[in-house]
Amino acid sequence: MRLAALMAAAAFAAQPEDLRSGAVQVEIFENLPKGSEFNPAGDPAMRYTEPVFAFTNIPVKYSNEALALDRSVPYVLRAAYERVLPHGQLQFRLRARGAAVLMMDGAEIARTAAQKPNTSSDDPVPPPVARDETGRRPAPYPHQDTVAEVAGDGRTHKFQLVAVIGGKGLMPTPGELSVSFGPVKQVERLLGPDGSPLLEDGAWEELLARSERRHREADRVRRLDASKETVARWRERHNEVRAYWKGRPVAVPALTPGYPANNEIDRFLAPKMNEAKVRTQPLTSDLDFLRRVSIDATGLIPTAAEVREFQKQPAASRRAATIERLLSHPGWADNWVSYWQDVLAENPGILKPDLNNTGPFRFWIHQAFQDGVPFDRFVTELIQMEGSAHQGAPAGFAQATLNDAPMAAKADIIGQAFLGQKLGCARCHDAPFHPFKQKDLFSLAAMLGGKDIKLPATSTVPVVEGMRKPAVNITLKPGEMIAPDWPFAELIQHNETGALPTDGKVESRRQLASLIVSARNERFARVVVNRIWKRYMGLGIVEPVEDWSRSKASHPELLHWLAREFVISGYDIKHVSRLIFRSHAYQRQAVAKLTEAQTTAASRHFAGPLRRRLTAEQLVDSLHLSAGKEFECEELNLNPAGDREPRQFLNMGKPVRAWQMTALSNERDRPALALPIAQSIVDVLTTYGWRQSRQSPSTTRDDGASPMQTLILANGVLGTRMIRLSDDSAFTELALKDLPLTQLIAETFLRVLSRPPAPEELKSMKELLEPFHKDRKVAGADSAYVARKTDSRVSWSNHLSAEATRIRMEEERNLRMGDQPTKRLQSGFRERYEDMLWAMVNSPEFVMMP
Amino acid sequence: MKRREFLAASAAFAATSQPVPKGKAEACIYIWLGGGAAHTDTFDPKVKGDGKKKPGSYYEPIGTAIRGEKVCEHLSKTAPLLDRAVIVRSISHGISAEHAAAANLVHTGRLPSGTLQYPSIGSIVAHEKGARTEEVPAYVVMGYPNIMRDPGFLGAKYGYVYLTQTETGPTGLIRPPDVDLNREDRRETLLGKMRDGYVKRNPADEAVGQQDAVTRQAFKLAGPKFLNVFDLQREAQALRQSYGGEFGQRCLLARRLVQSGVRFVEVSHNLNFLNGSGWDTHNEGQLNQHLLIQELDSALSTLIIDLEKNKLLDTTLIVVATEFGRPPEFDSGGGRGHQSLAYSMVLAGGGLKTGQVIGRTGEIGKEVVERKISLPDFHATIHCALGIDPHKNLFAGDRPVPITDRGEPIREVFA
Repeated sequence: MRLAALMAAAAFAAQPEDLRSGAVQVEIFENLPKGSEFNPAGDPAMRYTEPVFAFTNIPVKYSNEALALDRSVPYVLRAAYERVLPHGQLQFRLRARGAAVLMMDGAEIARTAAQKPNTSSDDPVPPPVARDETGRRPAPYPHQDTVAEVAGDGRTHKFQLVAVIGGKGLMPTPGELSVSFGPVKQVERLLGPDGSPLLEDGAWEELLARSERRHREADRVRRLDASKETVARWRERHNEVRAYWKGRPVAVPALTPGYPANNEIDRFLAPKMNEAKVRTQPLTSDLDFLRRVSIDATGLIPTAAEVREFQKQPAASRRAATIERLLSHPGWADNWVSYWQDVLAENPGILKPDLNNTGPFRFWIHQAFQDGVPFDRFVTELIQMEGSAHQGAPAGFAQATLNDAPMAAKADIIGQAFLGQKLGCARCHDAPFHPFKQKDLFSLAAMLGGKDIKLPATSTVPVVEGMRKPAVNITLKPGEMIAPDWPFAELIQHNETGALPTDGKVESRRQLASLIVSARNERFARVVVNRIWKRYMGLGIVEPVEDWSRSKASHPELLHWLAREFVISGYDIKHVSRLIFRSHAYQRQAVAKLTEAQTTAASRHFAGPLRRRLTAEQLVDSLHLSAGKEFECEELNLNPAGDREPRQFLNMGKPVRAWQMTALSNERDRPALALPIAQSIVDVLTTYGWRQSRQSPSTTRDDGASPMQTLILANGVLGTRMIRLSDDSAFTELALKDLPLTQLIAETFLRVLSRPPAPEELKSMKELLEPFHKDRKVAGADSAYVARKTDSRVSWSNHLSAEATRIRMEEERNLRMGDQPTKRLQSGFRERYEDMLWAMVNSPEFVMMP
Repeated sequence: MKRREFLAASAAFAATSQPVPKGKAEACIYIWLGGGAAHTDTFDPKVKGDGKKKPGSYYEPIGTAIRGEKVCEHLSKTAPLLDRAVIVRSISHGISAEHAAAANLVHTGRLPSGTLQYPSIGSIVAHEKGARTEEVPAYVVMGYPNIMRDPGFLGAKYGYVYLTQTETGPTGLIRPPDVDLNREDRRETLLGKMRDGYVKRNPADEAVGQQDAVTRQAFKLAGPKFLNVFDLQREAQALRQSYGGEFGQRCLLARRLVQSGVRFVEVSHNLNFLNGSGWDTHNEGQLNQHLLIQELDSALSTLIIDLEKNKLLDTTLIVVATEFGRPPEFDSGGGRGHQSLAYSMVLAGGGLKTGQVIGRTGEIGKEVVERKISLPDFHATIHCALGIDPHKNLFAGDRPVPITDRGEPIREVFA
């Protein structure tokens, strides 16, 4: 269960009972006239059902291109339900952060007040809510509880809840909006059918998790439904595009004797190696292949069960079967998000963002890869920059806070990402070593901006009287106006494109998208497949992948063939990935890392993929998977009280995969603004090359080795937690099983390193554990796992108070103690087993790609 | 000419023909007053205001070791030592709406451009000078890790080791509490076996070799020599008391770190619970601001004397920096807003020509009237003091990036 939660960031398997239509009818109203919020009239914007009166998730609103949209500020939720009330005195509890009214048979029985926006930062922290003797879940700050007594009469009654959600200066989220009821002085059950969950912590958390899963799945179904026509229109476009590329075939070379070939890729690679007398690397072992392809496709090492399953399959087909399994794994989408976050400089800020920050369009990237959006549509939607900026749609890409030429920054990103044109140097002057003038960048920027753009004074190099003349050419003057124009006529001419199947609002953006993704712009398809190739093989066919102006392709025919496959497949990244994974080239043993000087196009052979390190995200996610621990982290939100607007305080949610982490933005150095668990994860991520701030695009991460990488895993909080045999560790359960010691060690190796131990390793580990193994269990001890709690009373509005500081500093101290060790294992055994895990995780083998 | 050299030559066009002063400081302690310290309430006192309508300083001025120059009365311990310092009273940059943006500017000397992420001053110094010995890191932060302290395009290697409280030691370097030396030994023996097996199976693989080499080096860094630096118990009780509370202990630790070979130590001073708001003294934060100033006073004065006693003051540059100052007017709650076009920062020690004031503000401290100093100029001065050429280029890949944005050092502070 815990494991499953980690594996599926978003594509949770729909549980049948969750998809049954609920008993509670819910309507969402938008744009109601002021004052009429409690009497919503007209058609609701949407209708759905919930199983009970708990409304922690509101369905996302989607455009017909499946982009998340903002609802009106505020919007209104109305929920209706009928049920029989038992005899006896009952109490109804309405819990809401904002204004809500509960009616019974048309008469109001409870009401909560509207939430006010708050500009304070030094409010007092409210006292902790004492848990009463019933064990009821206390209302989190700053929710209100209103309780009404009702005499139960055994008859059917109608219940209706109307709640106003969000508002000017508030977060547009419902908080823990709920209605519950039960006999007086007892913990209530949520209003709904008999047997609905109790309003207590355990049941509530379970309900929350179920609701989250159900809503994510319902959102997915709804956006696919909303975008049906869009999908069909792009499919139609692909038919037209295919005609062009079918007319551009390339001859696949015959087999080269002595060079094994799994598919066309290998036949393209062989002749050059043959000529240069370069031998291919031998094929990897099956287990090395499994680990490598699992990480490359999903960002996760294989589970022990997956290793065993793999070994059971027929040797001849197990590799191909694994590739297919992994391509439909939910991790596929997760693993691509990090990549595009880097390339597209996704850079959200959770606290008054003003450092070239964008919106969190990571959520749209994830959704696009989860839904299998063809890549030409992906690029088009990115360039059109529409949808909700704060909920993660591409509108967030348009933002660049405190940047005086945001569209110039975006033009550079798009040039590098999809055209291999690096325009960054042209921001302030004509690029000295690229064929670009400053005007090229700014005319592209004007296309993105949809209007003429003025060159800001900061985007220039001043020519100072009496000093040496700059060697860079400056052809534009500050203040000069530049009109929208396509600067890359050598790639494709304006009149060569057809219209795209999109309803984008800005004409010049539509034009720009059609120029980039046009079939005739062969550069686009080549740049994209070259990016995929580099991701899996470690080096591009063209290098650097983001800057094609100075280099040649090492294998131009292969590049063309891959590009053609890409377009004919309907711009499907999965198709190209499959081709690469299946190739002998990918499945060979890694070649040692080349020095920069050796990577000229002429000397690149791909005798095997380059030796790589796991990315920071892959490392952190794989550690969690291996330990079987949930991704424990605070909600990435410095305004849990919800009394500030999303423009200033984004709520980035509770992460379950590493790509969901974000810069923690404590430039103010205030302990009360720290998120200690998140920080411990960010510490590992940044040490391994993840950028907490992505102010500029980047394709190749800093992958140098540094001593801090070892130390942060060896001694840091996250590393220590992952190897700790606590009651939520899979290793604890494994150690408690009645397994012979040899088998315990073998199983542990499988979980961590995806291979059995070597004989000498088995010997040392046996020597370590043998004396303690027999008596390892503590009789009568129980599992005592308690999830770490974050005090939700601390919010921006009170973070300056001494109490807020004390609370967070205490949480930081507690975290440093690590996870509570299990009492079910004798400490002598437990510590040695942890030491074995420590040695395995800290061995370079764990962080290197096989 | 190689591409890189050509680019370097062309980007350095702004350099003047005047020779650049070359300071002899070996290390830098960078004290960060997060929130924006009011210059008129600290290093640039003016006629007193009334805390309401009448603008002006909040405290009485007192004389200092710089003839004719005054500071606020709560800096009474530092005032007689200011002959070891330079007060720069004319810092001006214009970013005052948001703390993070201004703090980032003061740390990097630049506004974000969207095409590059610029490195912090700490990372630049780490990059240029490295640590003095292999057993210590080059750059240590006492405060929260965040973007303004990051290495930017220089890469993670020039990042920092950090701690949030002196009592806990640096993240990642201190062994977890349940791992004693015995256990550590056992772990490293096991790790040695795992590592040897892996390296043997992958001979002649550069990346594997590198990862293996840093693993070995790592445990040296986390060895007793460096970790002992964090043991403040080794210092005399009287000295520890003289430094004062947590911020003072951080300054003491900074001295120990510099002694051990660390090049750049950033010490953040923003314990907001002392006065409710730290240096960001809006509204009631003003009332107890003097507690903060007194804490700074004890720590800074003790640090100067302590460095001097250890013969480190001439080779250690102390910088007291903050994201902006505050206007002489009071807000409706009796506190102060933000002001970035005129405020103070302080340099001390570092072999500079100390005992002088650079720049002047107007009558009530609202504007610079003499010798405006930009952030690039201030950075260039720090570079010069540390013997780093302020006109040189750093490289983002093969793209040359001037180390400061056309900054010129404050030449008066170099003898």
